[in-house]
Amino acid sequence: MNKHPLRRILANTLRDAWLLTLGLLAAVAGAIVCGLLPPLVLEDIVDGLTSGGAVSLRLAWLYFGAVAVSGLFETAKEFLITVLGQKITRALRHAMCAKLSRLPASYFSAQAPGVTSSRFVNDVDTVEALFASGVISMAVDVCKVVSILAVIFVKSRGLGLLLVLVTPLLFAMTRVFQKRILRAQVENRVAVGKVSQHVPETIRNIRMIHTFRKERYMEERYDSAIQESYRAMERSNFYDAVYSPIILTVSAAVVAVMMICSSLGGGMQAFFGMSVGTAVAVIAYVGKVFEPLESIGMEIQNIQSAVAGVRRIGEFLEEPEQPSADSSITLESLRTSSQPPVQLTDVDFSYDGVQPILNHCGFTVNAGESATLVGRTGAGKSTVFKLLLGLYAPTAGTVRIFGADATSIPNGVKRKLFGCVEQFPRLVPGTVAEQITLWDDSISREQVAAAATMVGLHETISHLEQGYDTPCTESLFSQGELQLLAIARAVAADPAILLLDEITANLDVETERRVLDALQKAAQSRTVLSISHRLYRETGGQQIHL
Amino acid sequence: MNNTFRCPEHPDRVTSYFRQELGPLLIVTVTGIFYNVGLAAGPLLEGQLAQCLLDILRGQSPWTAMLWTAALYVAVTVFVQGMRYLKRFYVRRFANNVNRSMKHVLYNTLVHKSRPELEQESVGGMMTRAIADVDTCAEGMRKFTTEVFDTGVAMAAYLALLLYYDWRLALLTCLFPPVAFFCAERMKKPVSRCAAAYKESAGRLNGATLDRVSGAVTYRVFGLEENRDRAYETRLADYEKKAVTANLWENAMPPLYRIISMLGAVPILYLGARNVAGTGWTAWDIAAFTAFLSCYTKLATKTSKAAKLFNSVQKARVSWQRIKPLLRPPVEEPALPAAAPAELAVSGLSFAYPGGPRLFSDVSFSARPGEIIGITGPVACGKSSLGKAFLCETPYGGSIRFGGRELSGLTPAERGTVVGYLGHQPELLSASMADNILLGDAGDPGPWLRAVCLDRETAAMPGGADTLVGDVGVRLSGGQQARLALARTLCHRRPLLILDDPFSAVDRETEGQIMDHLRQLASDSIILILSHRLDLFPSMDQVLWMDGGHVTAGTHASLMNTCPDYAGLYLAQAAGGGKRHE
Repeated sequence: MNKHPLRRILANTLRDAWLLTLGLLAAVAGAIVCGLLPPLVLEDIVDGLTSGGAVSLRLAWLYFGAVAVSGLFETAKEFLITVLGQKITRALRHAMCAKLSRLPASYFSAQAPGVTSSRFVNDVDTVEALFASGVISMAVDVCKVVSILAVIFVKSRGLGLLLVLVTPLLFAMTRVFQKRILRAQVENRVAVGKVSQHVPETIRNIRMIHTFRKERYMEERYDSAIQESYRAMERSNFYDAVYSPIILTVSAAVVAVMMICSSLGGGMQAFFGMSVGTAVAVIAYVGKVFEPLESIGMEIQNIQSAVAGVRRIGEFLEEPEQPSADSSITLESLRTSSQPPVQLTDVDFSYDGVQPILNHCGFTVNAGESATLVGRTGAGKSTVFKLLLGLYAPTAGTVRIFGADATSIPNGVKRKLFGCVEQFPRLVPGTVAEQITLWDDSISREQVAAAATMVGLHETISHLEQGYDTPCTESLFSQGELQLLAIARAVAADPAILLLDEITANLDVETERRVLDALQKAAQSRTVLSISHRLYRETGGQQIHL
Repeated sequence: MNNTFRCPEHPDRVTSYFRQELGPLLIVTVTGIFYNVGLAAGPLLEGQLAQCLLDILRGQSPWTAMLWTAALYVAVTVFVQGMRYLKRFYVRRFANNVNRSMKHVLYNTLVHKSRPELEQESVGGMMTRAIADVDTCAEGMRKFTTEVFDTGVAMAAYLALLLYYDWRLALLTCLFPPVAFFCAERMKKPVSRCAAAYKESAGRLNGATLDRVSGAVTYRVFGLEENRDRAYETRLADYEKKAVTANLWENAMPPLYRIISMLGAVPILYLGARNVAGTGWTAWDIAAFTAFLSCYTKLATKTSKAAKLFNSVQKARVSWQRIKPLLRPPVEEPALPAAAPAELAVSGLSFAYPGGPRLFSDVSFSARPGEIIGITGPVACGKSSLGKAFLCETPYGGSIRFGGRELSGLTPAERGTVVGYLGHQPELLSASMADNILLGDAGDPGPWLRAVCLDRETAAMPGGADTLVGDVGVRLSGGQQARLALARTLCHRRPLLILDDPFSAVDRETEGQIMDHLRQLASDSIILILSHRLDLFPSMDQVLWMDGGHVTAGTHASLMNTCPDYAGLYLAQAAGGGKRHE
């Protein structure tokens, strides 16, 4: 899989935030260089002392200054990494969100929302973690090790050589340890999974357990799961506990070898040769070489999981898209065309290319007319709606709305073109009024109230604690009221075409009456296409058999 | 080791967990003191190394002196780090032990809770969450124990060393770390506030994501995609802001605290140099100088991290408060053998759920060992409730006597030896077929599988009787689940068996075969079969007809004559050729 969209996002973000990027690079460089400074100042101080000199207050402040500046650079680095990392993940999520609008409707019927959401949440989170602690810190740590090694090489070639030999070995050990710890942790997670599954299972089966007096048995089953988890933890604990002591012991051994070699005199001393000040500085450096090793090993883990996350994000962004709409089409151009609002000509359609749903389907509904789609379940009544809404393109034939190809109509136009009332209307996050306006500011509160009055919901809503501004939840309305709300929503935008999908199928007689009344009012002077036998009886018009 | 799962004396007291783990804690204490005191030896010996090198370079010592000093340095490091390993390992084992004990006690409490108690949703949910709380709690106890040594003892050791070298300088420099600590403490509030705001924002963003994705088609149909994208963008912007702020407080501040602490280095360098030059408060050599500085640096680093650790202890306390009420002293009940067969006498029995209407009243009948009683009636006549009355989960009115003893007067353990109940729910475990039947008892599941006509189907499964049935038995069909549950009930036979609708998903022929097996295997048990299928009722010893809260007792033949409703139902089912009514 190529990562072109991802690379583009990354490049764009870095370019847009070029100042930040430069700042980060500067902070990283500063942190690395300044991290080297304090031991160098210390070397100067100690060498001055051994030659009998005093330490000026200026030198003492210089030492503190070096520590402080390196600390400030660390802070700046941490902060800038976060800011930049957040910018990049935000750009990623933004691009993914924009992608949603370009995906064909078939994508959403094939993918569970949870799976797609997890691309947005979990996978981008791995990238976020990568930026927070991964790639950049790792680069910084590698630079640190290299720069310290470089300084040590300058100060003491022998010690440098010694470290170049030891460091890879320690790094290899680090990786082995981490892999073992990871394995133990995976086992532990499996065991913990069993433990947490055991609890609801017990609650579910508690009557059986009590009846058979099997509390003891259930406890044993449970205990064996926590014992598994215990063992895995013990192993992980062992590696965890022994790692750092080993590193520090090796570090001490390296220092000891260096000191002995430096004191040998002759060629050895020339090779390691250092002043006392250098020795003090170098002891401080040796510790610093080993410090980043552990974090580098850790970050490799993060990088591995982020790579997997990035690959999945890349796949999502590469999903095939639907053809883009014709932006020259406006609501005005459609409504003023003298073409019929709905016209299907010789339409064939199949979702999967195998099972035909529509075959040579054709009909026309003229302005102001009502039509009802009739046919057995699975005949494709709802499919016709999906074609009209431009969610799918027909396999053959044409679907025209006011003469324009249905799939070419921009989505932004649709709110005032179609009033679509679904069988199970979906609430949007927001207030009751927003259920009706769908955040369209051009719909005034009076129009909202008028729409609600028309469907007979005005009373109910007015009695709510905050009236139209009550935050809307499922529990606020009954199923029938939700249908009425959906009708108010459709009517409020004053659409040219009403599409009604089996909306009275799940309602009781009384509510159905109210819904039909509301619809009759709404249907006046509009083009109405419905899937509902009962509505047909009320409004008449043509019947289209599928 | 049989004693793996120890349980402290007072599981609801934190201290009793510490007391229970005295062994590991003792090791932690000894190694912890050695390690942390030994830590101070590192800087001390590093100073000696530098001093030794100086002496050699000046020609005041032979090079072999360095050999000894270096060897000592390595030996001390190995010892100290060895102590550190032991301390780290045992403090983790301590936490692991506590974790295991708490989970064990927690489960013991759970499994002994009554069904009505668990049915209150909050209790079930609380129990599930409690497992995660135990992890947090044990982790907090570990960190607390670690910090007692790593912060307490280590800081004391460092301080002692500093005071030893030059008490005046030590006092002067040690003004700075508390300032850093104080700053960190003051910042705790904004830190946690920003972290909470960040989490909330993340929650809102996730909600917006799910809404945007799951409503994608709706939003497209209403032309709202741009609008929703904008709304999502506001969430993203908010998330970005909150994340940056939270991170700023959490990660960017500690280096600053360290800078404050390191202010102490200035007087050390300046005044320490005067010490070395012999013009200061104390006479120092190079060793003392470097040791003092590196010792102080370590002390400063420790203080800058200390505040972070208090947070985890705080978190642990919150978790502990939540799980504390769920930790009860363990209940151990004796394993009693099944009770001996005896007579059952039910008289004037009535039943109502708490706060609900009376479902039936004045039910009386009696039965001798080996009798099978069929209980039926129209839908919602209360026959399942009649069965449940025998469980004594809800108090009943009237009397149920088995062998002359009132059921409600028995302890739950005693009642368990008398009543075997099989309800609508098969209540299967996520385990093998065999385990589901034997429930940990030794034996062969074969006869029980044969008894419920499940033996052939089991043999055809990939693992035979060891085949896993999946969570809630999902890998079995409904009929298989019901028969497996029946096999389990037969395996753990009691003298009084209540079977609620055991044949609902079984065909007529199999039903007859299972009934025959039931008669053979449970020849001295009293069996109550609650069912709406009447095919087998002619062969029952007694039949109870329940309708409108009243019960008519008799035999199939007598009810056919005296109870027209029963006769009607029976004839209708017989005419339907045993068609299932589920």
